[in-house]
Amino acid sequence: MSLRRSALRSAVQVEIPVLLILVFALAPFAWMLLTSVKPTADLSLFPVRYMPSRITFEHYQLLIERTSFSINLLNSLVIACGAVLLGLATSVPAAYAFSRFRFPGRRQILTSFLVINMFPIVLLIIPLFVLMRKLGLIDTFLGVIIGHSTFSIPFSIWMLVSYFNAIPRELDEAATIDGASRLQTIRLVIIPLIMPGLVTTAIYVFITSWNEYLFAMMLSGQTVRPVTVALQLFIGEFTVQWGLLTAGGALIALPVSILFLLVQRRLVAGLTAGAVKA
Amino acid sequence: MAPPPPGTAVQMNQAAIRTLTPYGFLVPALLVTALVILYPVAQTVLFSLQDYLLYAPDDARFVGFRNFSMALKDEVFWISLKHSAVWVGGIVFAQLSLGLVTALLLNQSFWWRGIARALVIIPWALPSVIIGLMWTWIFDFNTGVLNDLLIRIGLISQPYAWLASPQSALACVMLALVWQGFPFFAVMILAGLQTVPKELYEAAEIDGASEFRQFIHVTAPAIAGIVATAVLLRIIWVANSLDVILVMTGGGPGYTTHTLPLYAFLRAYSGMEFGYAATLALMLTILLLAIVWLYVRQQAKDLDA
Amino acid sequence: MKRRTFVKLAGASAFAGAVSAPAIAQGVTTVRWWYHYDNPQNTPAALIAKFEQANPGIKIQAEAIPWGGGTDYINRMFSSVVAGNQPDCAMVRLAYLSRFGQMRALEPLDGYLTKWAERSDISDDVWKLNRAPDGKQYYMPLHYVVIYLYYRQDLFQQAGLQPPKTFDEFLNCAKTLTKDGMYGYGMRGGGGCHDNWGPFVLGGGASFDKGGMLTDKALAANRFFVEFATKHKVVPPSAPTDAFRQIVDAFKAGRTAMTIHHIGSAAEMVGALGDKASAVPLPRGPGGGGWTYFGDESNAIFASSKVKEAAFKWVSFLSSGDGNVEQAKLSGQLPITTSGLKNWTGHPKRFVEASFASLPIAQTLPDNVKTPDFVGRVLPTNLQRALLGETNPDEVMKAVEQLFHG
Repeated sequence: MSLRRSALRSAVQVEIPVLLILVFALAPFAWMLLTSVKPTADLSLFPVRYMPSRITFEHYQLLIERTSFSINLLNSLVIACGAVLLGLATSVPAAYAFSRFRFPGRRQILTSFLVINMFPIVLLIIPLFVLMRKLGLIDTFLGVIIGHSTFSIPFSIWMLVSYFNAIPRELDEAATIDGASRLQTIRLVIIPLIMPGLVTTAIYVFITSWNEYLFAMMLSGQTVRPVTVALQLFIGEFTVQWGLLTAGGALIALPVSILFLLVQRRLVAGLTAGAVKA
Repeated sequence: MAPPPPGTAVQMNQAAIRTLTPYGFLVPALLVTALVILYPVAQTVLFSLQDYLLYAPDDARFVGFRNFSMALKDEVFWISLKHSAVWVGGIVFAQLSLGLVTALLLNQSFWWRGIARALVIIPWALPSVIIGLMWTWIFDFNTGVLNDLLIRIGLISQPYAWLASPQSALACVMLALVWQGFPFFAVMILAGLQTVPKELYEAAEIDGASEFRQFIHVTAPAIAGIVATAVLLRIIWVANSLDVILVMTGGGPGYTTHTLPLYAFLRAYSGMEFGYAATLALMLTILLLAIVWLYVRQQAKDLDA
Repeated sequence: MKRRTFVKLAGASAFAGAVSAPAIAQGVTTVRWWYHYDNPQNTPAALIAKFEQANPGIKIQAEAIPWGGGTDYINRMFSSVVAGNQPDCAMVRLAYLSRFGQMRALEPLDGYLTKWAERSDISDDVWKLNRAPDGKQYYMPLHYVVIYLYYRQDLFQQAGLQPPKTFDEFLNCAKTLTKDGMYGYGMRGGGGCHDNWGPFVLGGGASFDKGGMLTDKALAANRFFVEFATKHKVVPPSAPTDAFRQIVDAFKAGRTAMTIHHIGSAAEMVGALGDKASAVPLPRGPGGGGWTYFGDESNAIFASSKVKEAAFKWVSFLSSGDGNVEQAKLSGQLPITTSGLKNWTGHPKRFVEASFASLPIAQTLPDNVKTPDFVGRVLPTNLQRALLGETNPDEVMKAVEQLFHG
């Protein structure tokens, strides 16, 4: 779509709708942020008190000083990065094979990657726990990361296959004719082309792993406990620590948003367009 | 490429390599997946054929397909199945529509695009338990912000029990999930839009095609494959997701927000009836399989192209 | 051991490696203990330090497990028993005693208890409540809560009402106080609704014995309870899904005049309402019968533990003297020891008294493998349907009878 629009048209057709969507996306989050800086006495009032009677950062302070939240954040980061690495390292070659080769069993294997994604995890978790215990992987980063690969690998393979398929095969052939080996073709031609897809998939795996609770709860112990599990500790049987919970939520959303702010530049038109033409 | 030397052994070797290459690429993914999934899945299938109680594993007997016939006669199974259909259909449709619009908008250039892209992802970046609790709190009858706002605007005069009314409970939980998941589609489609060659738009513009026609004839075909895959993956994900429901209503009031995985969850962890719960889970899987089969058949041409 | 079948299946898996036993350092015995506190800012570190100082050679490795509405904690525990890496000891609930029993997962404590001097500081009633059907003690009582009635002193006074002593008085109070957007009774119909249903239905004559849910008295008692919502409308419309968080918030916000909960929320209520919040034991039924829920917390030692002596030292430390008092402060509940309760200052006195006065009618739920299913699924779903008027109230009783007696 043309970049040539007047400022007014852009405002009416694009910026205002974007603003409306952002309001929908952010209103509950803003409510959460607001809650996180309210003194506890302001919560659960009727009628609702919108503006804090005073702004306080005590919940954040408690969160950092009195609980293990900062370590949990770090653990989450390790696990999510590990899940991205393991997920991409295994699924990029696999997706490439599914996209570029025709071999017996191809469709069946590709479909079965989806099928294994269909079992409700709640039922797989106990056998998986037993298995992880046998492998000695309970309460290790590797254990949680491998657990997360149950959803990250199938997803990544399927998404990447469609991104690979979107790239004309003539490009591979052209590179091969130019004398490049298969691995060179992948590294120099294909990977740069599917960068937006790769980034998107990585984001997906990162976020899903970052937010995952059930695997993390079962497979982690005190040593590698991520934030989602730590957060659950704020929801007791008889009390919910709203202040801690909302402050924790804000701190959890922050790194992901920053990460996305950094990588979204990769999601720009033109990267592939030019290459396809060449 | 240089022609292969005439020696037959070498030729055979090369042929073998060519045949085996794709499998070589698959090995890492297959290995990891087999390691973590095969045994639990096999175990679940085995459970479904037994009257397995987690606290009395030694008393489990093989009962064949009795669990399956029990499920078919179970009123709650059918209620949950109906809700699952509404749940998946409604959520995926709403997430896709909203995500598509968002992606198209965020693909335009305006000076604060980077920030807008980063902010829109926030709902997706929050753990389900927080999302569930926040929305429960927003919908709360007594101290919720929604009732308060609506009363202030004058749309309602009395607070409404959003999560306790059978008419609205499922819709409210679905809204929370739509909110959480639409950024997923936005990001996926945004990435897909980047693969559309700019030249196509330029050509279309020269032909005088309107923006709507450009979307129908250029954008839509180009991102169709990616959208279809994203929808398929999302259907599976949404069909299985239960943590937000669990936090918001626990399946209630009554059976109003029971979906199949939620019902399986309750049978598995409240009753520890793993045999029956595994059966419920497998029936969901079989239904999803039917959808996947339709998709794969549809895409067969594309897959084998 | 009963879990053998499962482990055998696991062993059949090609990937199963050798089971590695945790190494025990020379001279130091490590005791693994699982716990859950409501407030994550509370840690047992000081308690552990004190214990380790008094017991050189024993190290306590404490792990906080998320409660997750009970499901997560229990789920994690049963999975660990199945997989064979359960801790040495852990906090446990009576509702699961039967299931543990079926798995033979726990170590009977009778041998240790006869030699334990502090045993008599815990009342015989508690020991009796904690006893397993086979007559053995597997649970070391830790602390407890008793469900009672919170009410708004100021509103009662304004309306010239006395705190209700009978069901009829309760209904009358609720009706009088339901006005101007205020509801007389903040009913809990969501998760944990058994502690609101029990006082009126079990207290009104229903029982878990065979046929006990279907007597005329039982059916009438249940109808009386459901009609708070369907006929008298003295509960908020949100009652069918309200869980503890909602009932406590509504009471704090001044939207309900009575609600049924325990001392665990007293500090919060007083924080919001000051002297306006008070408590009394729950009202009695027409025949003078009453029922209230005894919310227990105990420690148990797993049969698989290799350090049972040390584990017992730890759990008995937590259930006696200062250890128990400190522990009760951390968990926000009442000390289990008679001596600890005497000088207890952890909660305002009126709530401690209401808890104590409720003990004569305090009961646990039946010691049955089906009980968690009753609490977690069968009662909430069926009760909610009745509260919404979707089904006849009697269906609740039929479903409960069906669950326990087929």
